[in-house]
Amino acid sequence: MSEPTPPVLQAAGLTKTYASGDRRIAVLRGVDLLLRAGESVSIRGESGAGKSTLLHLLAGLDAPDAGELRWNGDRIDAARCTAIRNRFLGMIFQSFHLVPELTAEDNVLLPRRIGGRVDAAARRRAADLLARVGLGERARHLPSQLSGGERQRVAVARALMNQPSLVLADEPTGNLDERTGEAVITLLLELVAETRTALILVTHNPAHAARTSRHLTLSEGILHHG
Amino acid sequence: MPWYVHLALKQLFPAGRRFPFFTAISVLGVALGVALLIVVTSVMGGFGYEIRRMIVETEGEVQVKARGLIDDPAAVLQQVRRVPGVEAATPFASGVVMVMANGRPAYPAIRGLHLDTVGGVVDLAAYVRLGTLEELDDDSVLVSSELARSLGVTIGDTLEVYSPLIIERLRSDEVFLPREVRVVGLVEIGHQQLDSSMLYGTLRLVQDLYGLGSAVHGVNVRARPGVGEDELARRLNAGGLPAGLQAFSWMDSFEEFLWVLNLEKGMIFFLLLFIVIVAAFSVMSSLLISVVRKTREIGLLGALGASSRGVAACFCAQGILIGCFGTLVGLGLGFAALAVRNDAVMLIARLTQREDELRRFYQFSNLPAHTVPGDVATVVVLTLAISFLAGLVPAWRAARLRPVEAFRSE
Repeated sequence: MSEPTPPVLQAAGLTKTYASGDRRIAVLRGVDLLLRAGESVSIRGESGAGKSTLLHLLAGLDAPDAGELRWNGDRIDAARCTAIRNRFLGMIFQSFHLVPELTAEDNVLLPRRIGGRVDAAARRRAADLLARVGLGERARHLPSQLSGGERQRVAVARALMNQPSLVLADEPTGNLDERTGEAVITLLLELVAETRTALILVTHNPAHAARTSRHLTLSEGILHHG
Repeated sequence: MPWYVHLALKQLFPAGRRFPFFTAISVLGVALGVALLIVVTSVMGGFGYEIRRMIVETEGEVQVKARGLIDDPAAVLQQVRRVPGVEAATPFASGVVMVMANGRPAYPAIRGLHLDTVGGVVDLAAYVRLGTLEELDDDSVLVSSELARSLGVTIGDTLEVYSPLIIERLRSDEVFLPREVRVVGLVEIGHQQLDSSMLYGTLRLVQDLYGLGSAVHGVNVRARPGVGEDELARRLNAGGLPAGLQAFSWMDSFEEFLWVLNLEKGMIFFLLLFIVIVAAFSVMSSLLISVVRKTREIGLLGALGASSRGVAACFCAQGILIGCFGTLVGLGLGFAALAVRNDAVMLIARLTQREDELRRFYQFSNLPAHTVPGDVATVVVLTLAISFLAGLVPAWRAARLRPVEAFRSE
């Protein structure tokens, strides 16, 4: 039996409550999650179940009311994790979120640019990633000149640019037709497997969820296995 | 290049778009303000510069004067020339006379020149348009061009000159005949007032007309190159001029006038600066709209690891870049406008048929302009500072936006 890979992400007792008028709504009620390098996990749940809230907490974009988060074993404080996030995490969104004024290549390079200098090696990596997602010839195109599927493939390349430990994908096929969505998921799973990057995939699609190594469901603020 | 500058440049000048409308309008607003400031400060500076040129070239940088007359000009000249920094000195006498020609009267000022020494201080020959300075003697005068035109005289004609001495002579029942002098040259300095009312004669002629004997009214002094007029006046006053004499730089003599000129320039600069401020408000408003429009992108930048300070710097950089481009375009427009100012003014005057009024009003035959590097630096620094401030409010709004709120707004 092989040794388990080191934990990339550890969440313990994450709790988040929102105020709605006089009421307090508990969106997450003590979520525990352990994710190891190279592991892929899908999270399903009904709309409003708190999937996006959970992703925001795991990405350090929002602070939990209670609980603890560790990235590569280090405890993370949401207020001070911005610089670490640049190297640790890649994010993919339902609405692609490409910068419209930047070319596909510049969008892919953006995380590296934010993290420091863009050198020849970075440009080579961006070109390789774009070629890997099938857009080598479209590097100089603006997002407005790309189809939805192509934009999401650029977003996938961008998420992997800084060789992160973890990729968080929030319903990445939500704005794509079934066939294009299938192609994007296949590409994403192939790339994270090749680079041994951990993946959390939030999706409504049971077929996409079934292709990850572990399947979780978020219901009434609690993460259920299976 | 830092990412926020790169992104700011890309947002202002997006790839694949030939005419970025928002950027062009914002840059144009700033550019118009800068161009106006450059044109106005240069023209106002030009008036001051032309007046300095006119005074210095016709009178020298410094004048030595007594309360009354200088009775022994030779001794004073000798003392003045010994002071370090003095290039040359020449005595003068001046006053107002009445002249008659062709039955027309005029009341010009007359300046008596010491022909042996005047060339070292004043290059009057350079302004003689018709005739020559060499022909000037005690029975002739040089006449300013406009005065000659209004009297209807030219070279070879005779003028009758009446000095204030006639009043004294009439009191003692003496008969006083006007002095008849020949016109031997026409002078054009380039200043309307001087060109319309000046006579230049020999020192002896003016001394005779005013009954001065060998006395003079003052001594004009030319400074050596590199010696400032104030410094030279200070040296002369410290260098033992005879009692009762004092040296004045041309700026001392025209202190109040120069103060008014500088005040006007300052006031106009201050008022025109509001154009840049209004343009900056327009830039600020556009950038604020951009912050709202780009809420999700700002959230994305945070998700990719950009700090709030970096996001703020991106919007601040856009304000500064608009300021930089606006300043560059404005400097180009301003200097281009200055290059064609005389053609433009004359065209307007011709179209409105006001050429003569314009010439009388502006004093100079051309609209003067003199650009002082300090004025340009002030315009550039103030414009960049205002543009930076215009970017601060949108930057602050963008920095306050938390990524999670940006995504929640979807």
